[in-house]
Amino acid sequence: MSLVVAEITKRFRDVTAVDQLRFTVKEGSLFGFLGPNGAGKTTTMRVILGILKPDEGQVTWQGRPFDRLPRGFYGYLPEERGLYPKMRVVEHLEFLGRIHGLDRMRARRETTRWLERFELGSVSRKRVEELSKGNQQKVQVIGTMLHDPELLILDEPFAGLDPVNAGLLKEVLLEAHGKGKTIIFSSHRMDQVEEICQDIALINLGRLVLHGNLRHIKRSMGRQILRLNLEGNRDFWARIPGLQLLEERADYLEFRLDGSVDPNLVLAEAMEAGQVIHFELVEPSLDQIFVEKVGAGA
Amino acid sequence: MSVIPVLVKREFTSRVKGTAYILTTVIGVLVFVGLSFLPPIMQRISSSFAPKSIELAVLDHGAEPSLVPFLLELSGEREGLSVRDVSGWDEVEAYRLVLEEDLSGLLLVDGPLCTLVTPDSKNVVLNDEIKNVVNQAATRWRAAELGLTQAEMESLFQAVDFRIREVAPQQGDSGEVDGAAQAQAMVLAYFLLFMIYMALIMYGNMVATGVAEEKSSRIMEVMVSTVKPLELMFGKIIGVGALGLLQFVIWVSTGLIMALLGRTGFLGMMFGLTEPLSSIPLTSILWFGLYFLLGYFFYASIFAAAGALVARVEEVSQVVSLLMMFIMVGFFAAYISFLNPNSNLAVAASLIPFTAPMVMFARIVLADPPLIQVAASVVIMLLSILVGTWFSSKIYRIGILLYGKRPSLRQVAQLLKG
Repeated sequence: MSLVVAEITKRFRDVTAVDQLRFTVKEGSLFGFLGPNGAGKTTTMRVILGILKPDEGQVTWQGRPFDRLPRGFYGYLPEERGLYPKMRVVEHLEFLGRIHGLDRMRARRETTRWLERFELGSVSRKRVEELSKGNQQKVQVIGTMLHDPELLILDEPFAGLDPVNAGLLKEVLLEAHGKGKTIIFSSHRMDQVEEICQDIALINLGRLVLHGNLRHIKRSMGRQILRLNLEGNRDFWARIPGLQLLEERADYLEFRLDGSVDPNLVLAEAMEAGQVIHFELVEPSLDQIFVEKVGAGA
Repeated sequence: MSVIPVLVKREFTSRVKGTAYILTTVIGVLVFVGLSFLPPIMQRISSSFAPKSIELAVLDHGAEPSLVPFLLELSGEREGLSVRDVSGWDEVEAYRLVLEEDLSGLLLVDGPLCTLVTPDSKNVVLNDEIKNVVNQAATRWRAAELGLTQAEMESLFQAVDFRIREVAPQQGDSGEVDGAAQAQAMVLAYFLLFMIYMALIMYGNMVATGVAEEKSSRIMEVMVSTVKPLELMFGKIIGVGALGLLQFVIWVSTGLIMALLGRTGFLGMMFGLTEPLSSIPLTSILWFGLYFLLGYFFYASIFAAAGALVARVEEVSQVVSLLMMFIMVGFFAAYISFLNPNSNLAVAASLIPFTAPMVMFARIVLADPPLIQVAASVVIMLLSILVGTWFSSKIYRIGILLYGKRPSLRQVAQLLKG
């Protein structure tokens, strides 16, 4: 009951954009697809959609090849905005609804409903080219969701949205998720992914780096982050092996704990060194995992 | 349910309201009306250049017999012609007179040799007219020498009543050919042929540019993820075709209405058609429609592929210029076929898909080609459209997403295999 990307490879001349990529997206999950710029996210999405043919491997949905799925089964939001600049917003959305299989009446009804939801009612008669970038992005998002697809594939959907509209989009995505839709979206904004996704795949240079449930991934990193503050000798930690100082701040010290270190032991040592004000064990953020796996500067 | 009607509708409605489309339609109508009025305007212009009167000074060098008496005789009969005999004068004196009195020129006559001395040898209209007058006088002179009467002269120049009657081995005697009707058919065929030629270039370009535009705006990614490339291509081709058809119905009817109103126009003038078109044969219009569509669909599929091969709209013209060459070859082949519609060249060209729409159309209007050839050309065109769209949809499929560099020929070959 899922989307399976099976060992796909896509080459462009000498460059291998996607290399033996394999991951699974469970039906009904909100799936974050991560990677630094140029990792092959967009290429992978295009292969999933059948826009590009893979050189090797295939993509299936519940065991069926993806290109046999009915029209309107999925909605795709490309990374760069693709709209007809001269068309009016209403006409454009109705058109997108219709090519995704809606009849005229339903296309019209859904267009009106979504324009209201995204507060675009006042610009609905304008031409697409007259809209601001953010509004164009909203129109594009509506065009992706209008026909109520089972599978949403969104390439950097939050790009170009202000916080208010990003919040709106998040709400819409969670709502679709609540209705059992499968959603794949790519991003390099880790905080957004962390906030709404259960499952992720992290790729770099066309290869899979991490894949699975976000919580499991965090746990399996075998490391924890410790935040500690005390009044007294702050240098006590140097005696403890397997403890690595990440950041020294006025309000706390941040350490990385190796799997072999018992946090209780650290607490005991700290209490001996002075009055403990703050002691917190946190899982590594996706950002930290990302940097660790892909390398700084990504 | 097919999405093609939805795509066609978008293509049509988004363009038909566009300024560019409305402007070209209106300008086209104005051009047709304008061209219809061109002949009278041209006539007025050329008559304004024509010499109002000719005043010649003639100096005979004295060889007997002389042209001079006949020139004088002619000047008495012809309005706007005056001849002054200055025989015996000094040449320089005579020419001074010409300059002082602003005469048309000085004619030196020495037996059969005539020399016109003029201050302006570039005034071709005037000098030709003088030459005519001199020749006319010379004809009279010779007639007089031969002792011919006026009636004898006229019978000498009487033209034969020449008629053409077609008796083809298969069709039998189809009777006498009406020369005027044939000239009319020719004018009409030429006009419609030119329209097909223009349509192929204009709408072919529109298709190619449209594809390139979509490609550069990346709307293509959204489209390709739901719509099959073949559907996408047909949507565009049919949409632009419908636009073209509408525009042409407007233009052709303007042209034909002007022709029926007695303004045969520019083309009529080129073919020396003096009478206005008496009627428009409906069958010609129907054939025009058929070959317009066949030619358009064939070329449009190739133009669509060309548009898919370029990365930016600015590059369209480079790729398209090659295709325009084919259309031009077709046009010239059709033009040559006009002179002999049943020649081997014309028959061959009417069966080659690149030239057939124009050449076969020209042949049908002019020459009643054998039915089997007409049928063959239609079948060949239909097959070529199928092959063309299949071929193009292959290129289209990959080409529309090939950003950046234009692919090499080798890559195109690879794409076709994949």
